[in-house]
Amino acid sequence: MVHLSSLLLKKYHGGYVVIRLALAGHKQANRPFYRIVAAYNKRARDGKYMEQLGTYDPLPNTHNEKLVSLNFDRIKYWIGCGAHPTKSVAKLLGLSGFFPLHPMTVTEAERRRARLQQTETATGTEDKQEEGQKQAEV
Amino acid sequence: MLRAMGGRSAQAARLLAPRSAVLVETVRGRKSRNDPVAKSKEGRIKVPPPVDPVEMVVMKQRFGEYQMILKALRLEFREEVLRRKYEEETGSLAEERARQDAEEHRALMTWNDEENVRMLNVRMMRIQRENEEAERNKLEAALQREQEQQEFIKEREREILQLQEDAKNFITLENLDQRIEEVLDKPKNYNFAVDKEGRVVKQTVLQ
Repeated sequence: MVHLSSLLLKKYHGGYVVIRLALAGHKQANRPFYRIVAAYNKRARDGKYMEQLGTYDPLPNTHNEKLVSLNFDRIKYWIGCGAHPTKSVAKLLGLSGFFPLHPMTVTEAERRRARLQQTETATGTEDKQEEGQKQAEV
Repeated sequence: MLRAMGGRSAQAARLLAPRSAVLVETVRGRKSRNDPVAKSKEGRIKVPPPVDPVEMVVMKQRFGEYQMILKALRLEFREEVLRRKYEEETGSLAEERARQDAEEHRALMTWNDEENVRMLNVRMMRIQRENEEAERNKLEAALQREQEQQEFIKEREREILQLQEDAKNFITLENLDQRIEEVLDKPKNYNFAVDKEGRVVKQTVLQ
């Protein structure tokens, strides 16, 4: 018997498989929830996918954690079959330890730290200036 | 409320809307090539975000490393997938499974053959029995027919004998006068009465 699902799967010319985040259809405003999914590139973001490989909840929970689940075995299989992960998925995988840490994660962290230090020094100088002014006034 | 429509439907919306003003509802991509630029954006020159050369060098190095590691990982995973497929198809477990399937098939085939032989024997017995039954029935039917014929003949013979015996008492031309005189000489009295209990009463006298 011919394997029917391969006949029913749509044929894409030059299409490739991606591992990406798809909004799970919960239909609640301001409450997103993503599924990590292996799908064809041309499909709609929330459309028919080939396999679900995990979930990602972008809003932190009561313990201030963002929960991610990943099916490493199947992710290995799909990457072995030639799937491309998107930037967000690559970042998540890097944070989980499965992939090396994404350069953008590191860069973003460095930039944020630099900005924090800048604001700290700015407020520090402002405070010192204020103190100097007060002392001068006094 | 806020809907993002496709290109064609946006143009239709623009046709419906008044020429000068723009729609209150936000529609993505609602300005095409020939629409005038907004007043606030008249002298705008789009520039890409500024690049820090030090950071760029560091980033390039980091990305190079990252891609190298990813390439290595991808090749590893590919190898694992191929190995698993190979194991699945031509591994030791697959051989055992194939052997077991073949053995099962052989056992089933032998069982099937035995069943066929047994059914054949049963069928043969049944057919034999049916043939014997048929023959016996035929013989019995023949006997029956013979018997009936014989009885028929006997019946007819009996009738003939009866008739022969009756013929002795027939009235012929020679006996005619004699029989008439006999009857006239002996008058018979048929007058009698029957009681409810069945007692016959013959009281009437013939004159």
